[in-house]
Amino acid sequence: MPSSKSDVLQGTIDLLVLRTLDVRGTLHGYAITQHIQRGSADLLRVEEGSLYPALHRMEQAGWIRGRWGTTEKNRQARFYAITAAGRRQLEQEQESWVRLTDGVNRVLRFA
Amino acid sequence: MSWFHRLANTFRPRSLSRDLDREMAFHLAERADDLAAHGMSDDDASLEARRRFGNTTAVTERTRDRDVVLWLESLLADTRYAARTLIANPGFTAVAVLSLALGLGANTAIFTLANTVVLRSLPVRDPQQLVLVDIRDTKHTADKGDPYFTNPIWEEIRDHTHVLSGSFAYANRTFNLASGGIVRHATGAVVSGAFFNVLGVRVVAGRLFGPSEDVRGCSGVAVVSGGFADRELGGAASAVGRTLSLEGHPVPVVGVADPRFFGIEVGRKADVFVPLCTVDLFDGPHALDERSRWYLEVMGRAPGLTPEMVSARLSAAAPAIFQATLPADWSKASQTHYLSQVFGARPAAGGLSELRNQYAHPLWLLMAAVGVVLMIACVNIANLLLARGAARQREIAIRLSLGAGRSRVIRQLLSESVLLALIGAALGAVFAHWADRVIVAWISTRHEPALLDLSIDWRVLGFTIVAALVTAGFFGLLPAWRATRVDPQTMMKSGGRSIAGSRRQRISRPLVAAQLALSLALVTGAGLLLTTFRNLDEVDPGFRREGVYIVQTDFAHAASDTARQPIMEREVLQRLAAIPGVRSVSQSAFTPMSGAGWNDFILTPGYSAHDDKDSLSYFNEVGATFFSTMGTPLLSGRAFREGDGDIPTTPAIVTRTMARHFFGVDNPIGRTFRTPVADSASAPYEIVGVVGDSKYNTLDETTQPIVYLPLGAKGGIRGWTQWNYELRSDLPMSTILPAARDAIVGVSPTIELDATTLSAQIHATLARPRLLATLSGFFGALALVLAVVGLYGTLAYDVTRRRNEIGIRMALGAAWRDVIRLVLGDAGRIVAAGIVVGAALSLVGSRFVSSLLYGVAPQDVRTLVGAILILACTALIATLLPAWRAARTDPTEALREE
Repeated sequence: MPSSKSDVLQGTIDLLVLRTLDVRGTLHGYAITQHIQRGSADLLRVEEGSLYPALHRMEQAGWIRGRWGTTEKNRQARFYAITAAGRRQLEQEQESWVRLTDGVNRVLRFA
Repeated sequence: MSWFHRLANTFRPRSLSRDLDREMAFHLAERADDLAAHGMSDDDASLEARRRFGNTTAVTERTRDRDVVLWLESLLADTRYAARTLIANPGFTAVAVLSLALGLGANTAIFTLANTVVLRSLPVRDPQQLVLVDIRDTKHTADKGDPYFTNPIWEEIRDHTHVLSGSFAYANRTFNLASGGIVRHATGAVVSGAFFNVLGVRVVAGRLFGPSEDVRGCSGVAVVSGGFADRELGGAASAVGRTLSLEGHPVPVVGVADPRFFGIEVGRKADVFVPLCTVDLFDGPHALDERSRWYLEVMGRAPGLTPEMVSARLSAAAPAIFQATLPADWSKASQTHYLSQVFGARPAAGGLSELRNQYAHPLWLLMAAVGVVLMIACVNIANLLLARGAARQREIAIRLSLGAGRSRVIRQLLSESVLLALIGAALGAVFAHWADRVIVAWISTRHEPALLDLSIDWRVLGFTIVAALVTAGFFGLLPAWRATRVDPQTMMKSGGRSIAGSRRQRISRPLVAAQLALSLALVTGAGLLLTTFRNLDEVDPGFRREGVYIVQTDFAHAASDTARQPIMEREVLQRLAAIPGVRSVSQSAFTPMSGAGWNDFILTPGYSAHDDKDSLSYFNEVGATFFSTMGTPLLSGRAFREGDGDIPTTPAIVTRTMARHFFGVDNPIGRTFRTPVADSASAPYEIVGVVGDSKYNTLDETTQPIVYLPLGAKGGIRGWTQWNYELRSDLPMSTILPAARDAIVGVSPTIELDATTLSAQIHATLARPRLLATLSGFFGALALVLAVVGLYGTLAYDVTRRRNEIGIRMALGAAWRDVIRLVLGDAGRIVAAGIVVGAALSLVGSRFVSSLLYGVAPQDVRTLVGAILILACTALIATLLPAWRAARTDPTEALREE
């Protein structure tokens, strides 16, 4: 496995999932993984096993809503969509992410 | 929102878990498709998909653990699995459950007692508001004061202070229900009118007391407890209106109180309540005005006030109250002191309790002892679990490699421990219920049965459950932690036995040493308490207690003319002496160790006391045959004779300690002394004889000076009606009691009587040391057995494990003696470590028992050495069996096994 791909930072998975669902609408878990990987130009790799606990946690928090549906290949899959509460959460997480990266960048520049 | 989800999830745990499985299956299928599309073979693709996904089981569990409520689902599964494992290992389960039942049961038993006697509040309305008022010296206001009041002081407090919102006075009293003949006691209390209202006691029938019972000259009425109404009066409904005979006076019952209400003294159940205003009925016309009768306890409600605030506010009224109630016949010095006193208050939510005063400290001590026993039992189970964990390493390794999270496996193993502990606690509760009854029977005496409400309340329940869970954590956590600390790969490859064994050994040896140390401390403590009891039992009381019956009489209702009483007393003496088989009879005001007595100050020219206490002597009034009947030796001078009470200068007989203390000689015959009467002195008493010392109140008291006066002496207790007759006889009680009753009723049917033996009377004073000696001995032995079983288990396991090594040693020429020495040396190191630590523990711990000891120092070397010897011998026995087994190892067989 290529080691240059960094695993998704602990705690950022919520942000990525919410952002993905906000942009792409309703998606199943596998598509979310694919989208994050492609959207990051293969720089980020979601540890696939850890996605589902995160999805369930977010669903229980009320940020996303899951529903069973059928894919184009006629497979049963659970489709997730972002909720209003999820959008508010996304805004917050985006803000704190920007603050974090801004802070880290400053340190890298001036340290 | 999320709560709704969680709630919904509880009802469909299976569907959630199935949802997740489906979702993951879909993911894997999509990934495999993608990989296949990139040219992988189908098999490789699905394998790679799985590998990328990671541990599916762990994912399932992590996802499910997100939900608090779903935890219950896995708990249920764990419990079911744990139950199956326990059933599959009946031997282990039986040993573990039994030791836990003993350990937890002992803890529950002692805690139930401590809860009832020390912790629990009275079953009345808002008990935390109650305070007990007492009287304190101005100099020592911080100390607990004297809680006894006279009626005049109480009336002043009731009428002229407004600090307490509701207060009452209370005095224990035992009533004789029979009129004449053998007495029938009812425990009861004298209470002021507000008693029931202030406490908020519910009435079952009729009425309780009210303000009309606080008025002088009230009519005699009684309120009885629900239990008494059922036992004696045919139920609450028919009780009201019935008439009781109390001390020979007819008293109508006006009400029945809540059956759960036992009064305000824990350990005593008050059945008959009479108003304070009626004590003159029982104690003579001026009883309520007596300024030197200290018998009332005063309690009240102080909502929102601290005891300090109550003390300060009541004390502001103290000078006026003490001035108004000053006893006129006291000496000037005593009066000055009386006027300087103040009031204090202390929280009294738990009510009053003589039993608590006596047993609070022993109960906490026993609590510590049973805690240690439980700890030792826990270590044994921990060792068993460690051994089993070692045996189960393959199973655990398999489960770990199949994807179970480590914490999940620990939880699984822990649920076994918790299940064991809960079963043990449940069994232990049954055992505790039974044990508490035995203990209560032990601390009960005939006249003071300990009546305790030992029902299980939330505190006992909570204690038992918490104790069981803590116990489970204590013995389960370490083995579970260790058992799961395996690397599945290594484990699956190797047999695993040797690794697990050596790790277990490293930890189990210090544990066994700790067990031995703790048990040594308990055995030493038990040794000290047993020595104390033996010392007390062997104390020479100054008389021969065997074969002496005490017939207690009361002439209060017998003689309307007090002049006739001495004639009747003498007649009773003669008739008792005439009973066939009675060798000698005597008469006295008090008997030793009865709890009743009389003391006074001694004034004698050559003696100046350091303080008031130093010039006190006990007194007794006795007949001519008292010393010969009791077996007290006459050392010099003469015994009393008939008519000594009529001699103008009253003759007195003193004990040797009295002679030495006040006269500085062994033989002060002919010398005189006086007692104070207000500010002057009494007529002189002339010493005519000296007798050996006797114990007066308790066996463990330092020998007190005693003065004996002849019957009917001037300055004696004139008007005393409760005379004791001592009968020396070999007849059984069943013969003596009816014969004595016939003899006394023959004199007058209105004389009341009861009988006991001198031995029983002394036996009763030893209730506490006996209980402590027995229980500490039992817990010490239990601790020792458990610790030695632990030692045996560890050694036996070691010998089995090292069979191979022993076989090689023997093959290389080691004799069986060398093998035995090997095992003994091993055991010796563990035991030695245990003894060193245990001895240190004993020396530190014995400080806590020092106040309960008699005739033995807390750091008594003989007791410690004795305890060490007992431990060493028991440990040696436990070592011999494994050593012998090791020595019998057949080298060829042992080597062939590997």
